[in-house]
Amino acid sequence: MNRMTRSSVAVATFALVAVLATTTGCLSQPAEFETNAAYLYRTERARGEDFRFEPSQTDDVERVLTEWFGTPDDPRAPKIGDLDFSTVLDADRLTMASGAVYSDQEDTKFGLYREHCAHCHGVTGDGKGPTAPFLNPYPRDYRMGVFKFKSTPRGSRPTHDDLRRILVEGIPGTSMPSFRLLKEEELESLVDYVRYLSIRGEVERALIGELNELGEGQRLLPEDAPADDEAAAEQKARVLTNVKRILDRWAQAEQSVSPVPPRPAKFDDPEELAAAIERGKAIFHGDVGNCARCHGTTALGDGQTTDFDDWTKEYDPLDAAVHQIYVDQYDVLPARNAKPRNLRLGALRGGRRPVDIYWRLANGIDGTPMPAVLTKPEGSPADVTGLTPEEMWSLIEYVRSLPYDELNDPYQAVPANVRERP
Amino acid sequence: MGKLWGLFFAIVPIFAIGMFLYYALVLPSGLLPVNVNARPEAYWIDHLFWVILWVTSGVFVLTALAQVLFVFRYGDRGDGRRAVYTHGSHRMEIAWTLVPAVALFALAIYQLDAWASAKTRIPQVPAPGTVVAGGQAEATVPKPPLAEVTGRQFEWRFRYAGPDLVIGTRDDLFTVNELHVPSGEEIVLSIKSEDVLHSFFLPQMRVKQDIVPGMKQFVWLNAVQVDPVADRYDILCTELCGWGHYKMRGRLTVEPRERFDAWFADAFARQELAVFDPAVAATAAETIDADAAPTDP
Repeated sequence: MNRMTRSSVAVATFALVAVLATTTGCLSQPAEFETNAAYLYRTERARGEDFRFEPSQTDDVERVLTEWFGTPDDPRAPKIGDLDFSTVLDADRLTMASGAVYSDQEDTKFGLYREHCAHCHGVTGDGKGPTAPFLNPYPRDYRMGVFKFKSTPRGSRPTHDDLRRILVEGIPGTSMPSFRLLKEEELESLVDYVRYLSIRGEVERALIGELNELGEGQRLLPEDAPADDEAAAEQKARVLTNVKRILDRWAQAEQSVSPVPPRPAKFDDPEELAAAIERGKAIFHGDVGNCARCHGTTALGDGQTTDFDDWTKEYDPLDAAVHQIYVDQYDVLPARNAKPRNLRLGALRGGRRPVDIYWRLANGIDGTPMPAVLTKPEGSPADVTGLTPEEMWSLIEYVRSLPYDELNDPYQAVPANVRERP
Repeated sequence: MGKLWGLFFAIVPIFAIGMFLYYALVLPSGLLPVNVNARPEAYWIDHLFWVILWVTSGVFVLTALAQVLFVFRYGDRGDGRRAVYTHGSHRMEIAWTLVPAVALFALAIYQLDAWASAKTRIPQVPAPGTVVAGGQAEATVPKPPLAEVTGRQFEWRFRYAGPDLVIGTRDDLFTVNELHVPSGEEIVLSIKSEDVLHSFFLPQMRVKQDIVPGMKQFVWLNAVQVDPVADRYDILCTELCGWGHYKMRGRLTVEPRERFDAWFADAFARQELAVFDPAVAATAAETIDADAAPTDP
């Protein structure tokens, strides 16, 4: 090898190392939260097809969010005026769940969110991680603050236990696996971090909404507002009211668990249970329950199947041209219909415990077309619309009996050529 | 330079053997995790491991030595001699084809019993209605599975048959990533996959079974109790099944029959929870303390 080729090999090697270093992480940028561009566009579009907020105003949203909530490497439980988010977010837990993945000498793990969650749910919690497009259903976008499987009434936030339960049990029928083997404090920190991303997303939406109130050239929560600037003070008060509403809903979640009336003791008797299941079937098809409308007369989930969930409805799924703009320019995943569950499969996403089913029926499923069924106390007159506790439990027993219905007996359904050995 | 290359090639076998000895002698577990399966195939699998390891180690050392020796002895001496090319030796080709063939064939026959025991001799129970005289039943049927294992991207789901021993009925218990088995009993597990290829691996039980979607299979084991309370081992997936393959980790708990029954009753009661009591709900979704590391070794 002559000197010429040797030096060019050295140069090429150096160039290769430099390229690898810059593209694979050594010199890469720190992780950043992404702006909710799709929601911003939606807000602009509501004002007019060509309307755009001023770049300085949208930059203000970023600035305020970073000031309050920090970055993915340095998250903060903000204290905004007298609103103290440390009541619902634990700073230590946020530190444990955020940032890059590493563990210290005592084998305490950090960066848990990026290790376990971010590849589907995204660094921002927008449900748009790199693996998200391949999954059905899509991963949850936390930024609306809406969660499906919880013990609190429709419109309320989930409790700490509700979120933790999803992490421990996973969601059957979806790509959400169980994280049962994580340590207790790891789970707790992830729950807090999900809540953090959710709150941050909700505040971002509130701030984007606030842009609507700004006049030309006006800034959002300017840092250098003079003390006597009435418009700025008014604006700040308005923003704080909205943020307080967000905080309050999370703070109240723990106290708002829906009570579950006890399952009638007589249902332990097989004959009574059979009769209850029959009554439940009638309710399933009846006017009050009317489950059959979406879940289908045979409960195969083949009734009304053309609706969408709230996360999809934001992006005009019914107007193909407009929806395509969201998909092409704002990174929105192509719309899919919200499918009513096939109740005969035996996989209930929100959990198979009777209390879980009670909460699904009594509270509905947030963000989806599944409504809350009307309930009424035991002994109410017949002309009051709603289901009594006993009727609710009858309906639950019917739902619980469906996977074991003779119609879908798995033994009849096993094909003759399935190989069983020996 | 030629002789130096010979020494250079010697680094590989020396390093490999050194690593091997290091792990065999320094690691407290030795080369294999503890074996806690009382079934004959578990013993045989370890035995076969050692037999094959000794045979292949011997061959490895001999071939490595020969390689080093040849390079050292016949390397370029710088005296301008040119290499001689040969089309090889028929006799030697026959030798190095036949010797491994015979060795492999011998191993294949030697392991037949282990294979049969692990893959075809499913534990039997007396057929319903047959007379059991002197511990010997007239007719037997395969023992019904304790639970059904479903591999899924990326978790293990278990469905216990429950008291009626039939999977697919209302007394079934559902768990995720958490498998409990009673010790000192022949346990049959039925295995299937919900999506793609997985492989169900219980290292300490010497049980490993690839899972093919659409195909139902069985594995069996007889767990030995080491700790009188509960032994915990890992459940692993040993087939690269997707980007989350590493997440498919479960926990196997071996416990005496009474404790197993108590656990089952408790877990089933939690599954059937029909009253909301915050205290009960808090314990309803228990985690497994991953820190209370597997008993191994």
